This record gives sequence, C-alpha cells and structure tokens, in this order.
Amino acid sequence: MGAIRRNGAGYMFLAPWLIGFFCLTLGPALASLYLSFTRFDLLNAPEFIGAQNYVRMVTADPKFLASMKVTLIYVVLSVPLKLAFALAVAMVLNRGMRGLPIYRAIFYLPSLLGTSVAIAVLWRQLFAADGMVNGILAQFGIIGPSWISNPNYSIYTLVVLSVWQFGSPMIIFLAGLRQIPTDMYEAASLDGASPSRQFWRITLPLLSPVIFFNLVIQVIEAFKAFTPAFVISGGSGGPINSTLFYTLYLYQEGFSYFRMGYASALAWVLVAIIAVFTAISFLTTKYWVHYDD
Amino acid sequence: MNMSHFGRRRFIGAGLAAMTLPLLAGTRASAQDAANIRMIWWGGDERARRTNAAIDLFKKANPQTAIQAEFMGWDDYWARLATQVAGGNAPDFIQMDYRYMFEYARRGAIRPLDEYLGNQLKLEDFGKVNLDSCSVDGKLYGGNVGVNAFALVFDAKAWGEAGATPPDLKTTWDGFAEKCAAFMKGNKNKRVSATADGSGQETLFEIWLRTQGKALYNPDGTLAYDAADAGRWFAYWAEMRKAGSCVAADVQALHKQSPETTPIVNGRSAIDFVHSNQFEGCQKLVQFELTATGTPVQDGGKPGQYLKPSQLFAISAASKNPAATARLINFLIAEPEGAKLLGLDRGVPASPAIRDAIAADLNPNARKVVDLISSITPLVGALPPAPPRGAGEINEVQIRISQEAAFEAVTPEQAGANLVDEATAILKRAG
Repeated sequence: MGAIRRNGAGYMFLAPWLIGFFCLTLGPALASLYLSFTRFDLLNAPEFIGAQNYVRMVTADPKFLASMKVTLIYVVLSVPLKLAFALAVAMVLNRGMRGLPIYRAIFYLPSLLGTSVAIAVLWRQLFAADGMVNGILAQFGIIGPSWISNPNYSIYTLVVLSVWQFGSPMIIFLAGLRQIPTDMYEAASLDGASPSRQFWRITLPLLSPVIFFNLVIQVIEAFKAFTPAFVISGGSGGPINSTLFYTLYLYQEGFSYFRMGYASALAWVLVAIIAVFTAISFLTTKYWVHYDD
Repeated sequence: MNMSHFGRRRFIGAGLAAMTLPLLAGTRASAQDAANIRMIWWGGDERARRTNAAIDLFKKANPQTAIQAEFMGWDDYWARLATQVAGGNAPDFIQMDYRYMFEYARRGAIRPLDEYLGNQLKLEDFGKVNLDSCSVDGKLYGGNVGVNAFALVFDAKAWGEAGATPPDLKTTWDGFAEKCAAFMKGNKNKRVSATADGSGQETLFEIWLRTQGKALYNPDGTLAYDAADAGRWFAYWAEMRKAGSCVAADVQALHKQSPETTPIVNGRSAIDFVHSNQFEGCQKLVQFELTATGTPVQDGGKPGQYLKPSQLFAISAASKNPAATARLINFLIAEPEGAKLLGLDRGVPASPAIRDAIAADLNPNARKVVDLISSITPLVGALPPAPPRGAGEINEVQIRISQEAAFEAVTPEQAGANLVDEATAILKRAG
C-alpha cells in the first residue's frame, strides 16, 4: 500500500502508456495468438483447428517459403549496406564542418519521408522502364531494363530505397562519434597511426555499442518492411513474387483472402524469427562489442 | 479473443435482426419515421461527386432520413467492410461486387431483398437476366447498378497510321493475331506494340474458354478447364510475344488492374482489354481517341462475352432500417432523378427506361459505352456459374503464372499445368 502511495504519481504519469499497452497492444496481441490456432474469415466465428496453420506453413505453403526468401535477401543486403552508408556519412559530417545542422537535416530528410507512400510512388517512377534512372544510363549508351517490373532486379530497387533512408542510424552514429574522446586520435597520430588504422583500432571498437544498437533496430525494421513493396508492386508482391515481403504475404492472407487465422500464425512466426535474430545478435556481443568500463 | 466475442455477438444480432426485421419493416414502412442510413462504397473522386449529389437530392426529398456515406478505394474497401461486419458494425447500405456477393449472401451478412420488390424496390423493367445476375440461390441480394461487359479498346489513329484494320465484332482469335502482325509491319513507333498481353487477364481467359464451349468454373464450383486448355492459352500469348505483337513481359508487369496502369494508357500498346465501365476512365487519361469493340470470337464457336452487374447495392443483414435503405437503392438505380446523377460511372443502367432518360445528357464517350453494350447484347452468352470461394485468389495466381510464362521462367505448357494445380489446391482449401 505504501509503495503504491509512494509511487502513485509515477503510475499516474505512466497511465496513458499502460492503458495503451494493455488495451491496444497486449490485448490484440493475445487475441491474435489465439486466432493463430483458428480458422477465421472475419464473417464467421473463429473455429479452433489446433496447430494446423503452423503445420501448413512449413509443409504445404510454397508462398511462405518464397516470401521468407525475399525477406531474408532484403535483410541481409539492406541492413549492412545501410549501416555502412550511414556510418560513412556520419564520419564525413563529424569533421566539424560549417553548417553541420543543415547538412544533418538534409541527410535525415529521406528517413522522415521514407515510409511514406509518396516516396514509394516516386521510386516507381525513377526505376520504371522509361524512368529517370534509365534516362541517365542512356546517356552512357546503356539500355536499362524496367527495374521494378523485372523479377531479376525488383528486389534490389527496394534495397536501394532502404539504403537511401540512412538518416536515423546516421544521427545515432553521429552522436556516438561525438562521444569518442579526441585525445585518443591525437595520441594515435603522434604515435604515427594512419587514418585507416585509427578507424579500425579506435573508432570501430569504441563505436561498437552504437553499431550493435543500430544493427538490432535495423534488422527488426527490415523484417517489418511493408510499404515500399506494397506500393511498388501494387500489393501483389510481383512480378512473380519477387517483392513478396513476408509482411506483404501476411497482409494478403489477412486482408485479401480473409484468412485471419493463418495471417495471425504468420505474424507470430515473424515475431519468433525476429526474436531469434535479436537473440543471436545479443549472444555474439561479447566477441565484438566493447563497453567502455 | 475479443474478436471471437464480436463474431458471436454479431451472429446472434444478425439472427435476431433477420427474425424481427420483417415484422418491423411492415410497421415502419407506413410510418416512415426518422431513419439513419450508413452507406459504404468504393470508387474515386468522379464517383464521389456523382454519388454525393444523388444523396443530397434524396435527402431533400426525404428530410427525415439521415445518410452518412463513407467511400474509399477498392484495395482498402474489402478489408474495411469485412472488419466492420465482423465487429457488429456493418453499414446499412453496402456497395457489393458480383464476386463477393456470393460470399456475403451465403454467410448471411447481407439480406434478401425479395420482400421489398414491388414496394420500395421497383425493378420490374430490369429484365430477368439482370435480376438473376444479382441473385444467390434463387433470392435477390442486390439492386443491379449497372451492366458491364469486357471490352477490347483500341487507338484508331495508331491503327490507321500503321495501315492496318483494327479488330471488330467478327474478329476471330486467329484473325486477331494476324491483325496485330499487320499492325507491327506498318508500325513506325517502336515504343508501341499492337496489343497488351492478355494472358494474365482472367476475364479474357474466361471469354476464350467460353468461345470453345468451356468455362472457368462448373456450377458445382470445380475447375471447368484442364491443363491442356490453359497451356494452349499461354502458348497463344507466347506466340504473340515472339511475333512482337504484344508488349514485353516487363511492360505488362506494370499493369496493376487499374486504368492508369494499363499499357494502352501508358502509350505502350494500341489495344487493351478493360471492363466497359472503365472506358471513360481510360479515355480521360489519354490524348488520343479510344474506340471500344467486342473481344475476339471463335469461328462457329459459342459467344464468349456476357453481361454482368458491374456492382450491386445491397443491404446489411444487421441493418435496422432496411426499408429506408431499399428506398434509397431504388432512388439511385430505378428513379430517373437519382440514376441521372450517377450516370454511367457504375455501368450502363439495367432499366431501358432509365437508359432512355439519361441518353440526352450523355457525352460522346459515355454514348460509346452504351453503344458497345447495345451492340454486343445480341452476341452474349449466359452468365457463367457463380465463382466459388477462392476464385479471387486464383485470379492473382493467374497473373503470377502468366508472368512466369512471359519472363520464360516456365514453358506455356508448364504454366498451364501449374495454373490448374494451384487453382485446384486453392479451391480445395477454400471449400
């Protein structure tokens, strides 16, 4: 009782979040866990069918495997590229140039716009058969394909779109770079360490907790990617399932074909996959993440 | 778990409503007291303008009726409607699609309208075919908003410049291929192919099957074609592609089932295949003049095309004001004042009287659509059997498999076999 009185004000302040968490997040999440063991088409009451949804996924659903493959390719390509790009830009910006806030804002802009439908529509125009990208290539005598409607290339345009939205990891990298004491670099310079040696021996190790944080966040974000594929493929995941992200497949099952039970099961498998990837990241930290203590 | 409660409650509610409403309707119709109608439909801005004007006019004549209309694009519509129905919050007035009608009717989500026929709903001159096409298991479930046919549209100027004769109502499938080849011979604009790639268009495939006396589905909901049929279909288009007559695979892959993504609108083909109610929409997007005609036929074959309702206006089984909603439906589809405001945007009106009433106001493009429907009406066959559950998904599968064939990931024969395999599996799962 005393504890509640002592912390009452704190709980009051937390109340909006707590109410939101229990009513809007935990409640529906538990409901979807139950639904994942049912057949539910929205119009009829859910019918309990045990683990059938999960069994079907691994034994009889080529589209599940196709979407998993597309998503893994996307994660494996887009996350490292995006992090490398973000770090490179952050290091350039960290040189104490004039007008840094302006550059920072400009470079961050794509991330603000990134998940918007408008950008995906723009992307579709840029990479269409007679879009701007092919216009530039044509200057060099190269006749480019229709990047977004050719199954061999469409996924890579989405990777490029993701890398372009490097703003938020860049901001975090920039903050991390600011934390590295400059006297370390000065001492290293006096000892004759080259800039690349300084990068590998000082910057990377001291930045590793920040890299780790960005890695975990970006892996989760990449698994959850939905909007670009939805807009660019018109919701189909095509051509030939080449942009069928896992979340897009989940959406199709739920909202195009009204198989809410199966869609819920897909959602929980995604939760499990993200948990596994995050756990792996955490377990490997002792080999490469250096905490400064 | 929340969801399951809603589901059950909705069920009980719907059951009670179905039992009590006919009684209430009798007492209400005479009193005509205040009614509140919630309405949901899909469409774009042009349709919104027309629909809102018609609603305003209805409200002026029926000041005791309040109407809240909500509209959105096709993509969002079905998810939203299903969620509202599942949540026990279904709108009274539901714009329905032919394919979804069977699903909603058989699950008791929309109510039969037979009791309103002759009272609130005066559809006597719609003709049997246009009432049957809105019926499920012998009961009427919706007011036919417009008659629709699949059409071949072409750019007459481009055909003239290529020195080739465009297809007409008598063109056979072989003749179609020859005409396209002739177009390519005289064609100067290398960006333009003679025709869009129709291999992924389910309705065109259906029409092709029907000209040979086959169909997509049997009345019992099983597949009515075999792997060899589908293989020949994909082979026909593979030939067209090889001859250069139809657009390349990566051009057709940009088509997302909307007028603005069709090859003809994007200046890549001189022929395309669209539903007749999309004709005006396509015309508005291009500078050149479009002409509409029927799809290819078979020498000595059966009629492939048919007239189907472009959409229906239905009433939710849970509606508290079905009689008032029925009056609104009647106003929109069977009274000249309302139907005139809707125009041809949802298809050509089923009632000849309404067609005559709006004829004077039609612009030349709208007139072309009416002429097309009138010209193919003597050539059409019966409405195909109801599409089974899962048919919508098979449509998506056909698009994907047509792309696999077009990008030459599989042979046409293999594509045909794959389509039959996957379609059969989907029907089994949905059934």
